[in-house]
Amino acid sequence: MKEVAVIGVGMHPWGKYPDKTFVDLGVTAANAALKDAGVEWKDVQSVASGVYQWGGGAGIVSGQQLAAQMGERGIPITNISNMCATATSAFRMACLEVIAGASDIALAIGLDMSPIGFLPALSEDPKDIDFLRWRMIGLTNPGYWAMECRKRMDMYGTTKIHLAKAKALTSKYGKLNPYARYKREFNIEEVLNSPVVCDPLHLFMICATSDGAAAAVVCRAEIAKNFQSKPVYVSAATLGSSLFGDPTARLGLLAAPAKQEAPLLSESVSAANQAYKMAGIGPEDIDFVELPDNSSWHYLQYIESLGFCGPGEADGMLDRGETAIGGKLPVCPSGGIGAMGEAVNASGLAQICELVSQLRGQSGARQVEGAKVGMAQTYGMLGNSACAILKV
Amino acid sequence: MSPESAQKKQVPTIGGLFTWPSSDPRLIGIRCKSCGTCSFPKTYIKHRPDCKQPELEEVLLSKRGKLSTYTVQHYPPPPTFKYDGDFAPYAIGEVAFPEGVEVFGIITGCKPEELKMGMNMEVIVEKLYTNEKGEESLTWKFRPVSK
Repeated sequence: MKEVAVIGVGMHPWGKYPDKTFVDLGVTAANAALKDAGVEWKDVQSVASGVYQWGGGAGIVSGQQLAAQMGERGIPITNISNMCATATSAFRMACLEVIAGASDIALAIGLDMSPIGFLPALSEDPKDIDFLRWRMIGLTNPGYWAMECRKRMDMYGTTKIHLAKAKALTSKYGKLNPYARYKREFNIEEVLNSPVVCDPLHLFMICATSDGAAAAVVCRAEIAKNFQSKPVYVSAATLGSSLFGDPTARLGLLAAPAKQEAPLLSESVSAANQAYKMAGIGPEDIDFVELPDNSSWHYLQYIESLGFCGPGEADGMLDRGETAIGGKLPVCPSGGIGAMGEAVNASGLAQICELVSQLRGQSGARQVEGAKVGMAQTYGMLGNSACAILKV
Repeated sequence: MSPESAQKKQVPTIGGLFTWPSSDPRLIGIRCKSCGTCSFPKTYIKHRPDCKQPELEEVLLSKRGKLSTYTVQHYPPPPTFKYDGDFAPYAIGEVAFPEGVEVFGIITGCKPEELKMGMNMEVIVEKLYTNEKGEESLTWKFRPVSK
């Protein structure tokens, strides 16, 4: 994917905005990205927009709502829904528009106001497999994560201290990120003393749900410098789905295979492996990663699933400070989803924004020195995931 | 079954997930006769990617399985989940059945601190909540096998 460059990124700060609409957040992010890219709305030839599934009929065609406020121009607008992978899927779509030659300049956007508390069911239809877990078990998303976390603790000796440490570390970076919702440092004791939500996961080991929007402007690489003195290049933008025999307690399902025939989180492994192949590099070439730390379990598990160490070895990397800024693999220098809060349909592009900021050397006190290659990886419900590798 | 619950009409909260009425209720899964893949519920059909002759059969999962993992839900889930009275924390587990499938479900009949990975569990059917007609709305649950 050498042909595509990111020339602009923009965000609406993450938080809770009851007096705004998801479109308002999107317009702020889109205008910031256009300004950063040095282009105008009239220069954008296509839009890939993340579906806002809690926004009813308007949310399903979120890109059309955005275009109404930006000024309708008749350009192609693709609305994409992939749960946690939504925004990165939109980013991938915008890149594909450029690669296909359909657009010289394309805008990717994710905009979201996620419901407060445990994310709820999307239907009351017994034919909706996802509805069954809510009605029959009351099985929340953190419930799945907690069950996987307990397996990990049993298998590798991961402790609650590790889970607390992950939060304590990312919160340091969140404090330095002007776009983060939680700009405050948590210490290990505080995390351990927070209420248990789904045992063994405590409140501060789990991300909150947030409102936010993020956007990126991409273009053909050869014209990038006409607009942006520091373009960032897209080495890979991929989508992964699950493999048969993946034993993960997969969000939205009532069952998992008893016999393991594929890796845990195989959809994420698929996305990452495709990305490494597309970029022609391996995990050892990645300078920093924004991974989906929806919970402290994710933080540890994704370091392994993305190939940065072997099974059970992420705890040691964390203990040795290797995942800190300044360590061999800084993880979530933005503060991650823990500090941002999860805006389901926008978080993937917030990761892309962080990659671009880091790769341009514009991240201030949370800068990863000398960062040349960054990776952004999402989680995903019911077996989908997206990954991107950017470089300078 | 308590005398009180014996008097109330009992109805599955959603049909087709477990055998009912039954003195020995079982979870109803589905299996491919060709590739052997078993899943639950029967509306969630899975095959191996190279399965050439998908032919399905319903399968009743064994009464007993082993606890793979568990959690304790300390806060009320969203209102799609219904329960009687005040919310009380409850355990949820993943139980591995010999048919090759692990199923999630509420755990009953023991304190959370008594749960151990790998312990033997059995499937039972119990009240989830009392519905608007005053009937007991049922779900499947897992209970440690009594010695």
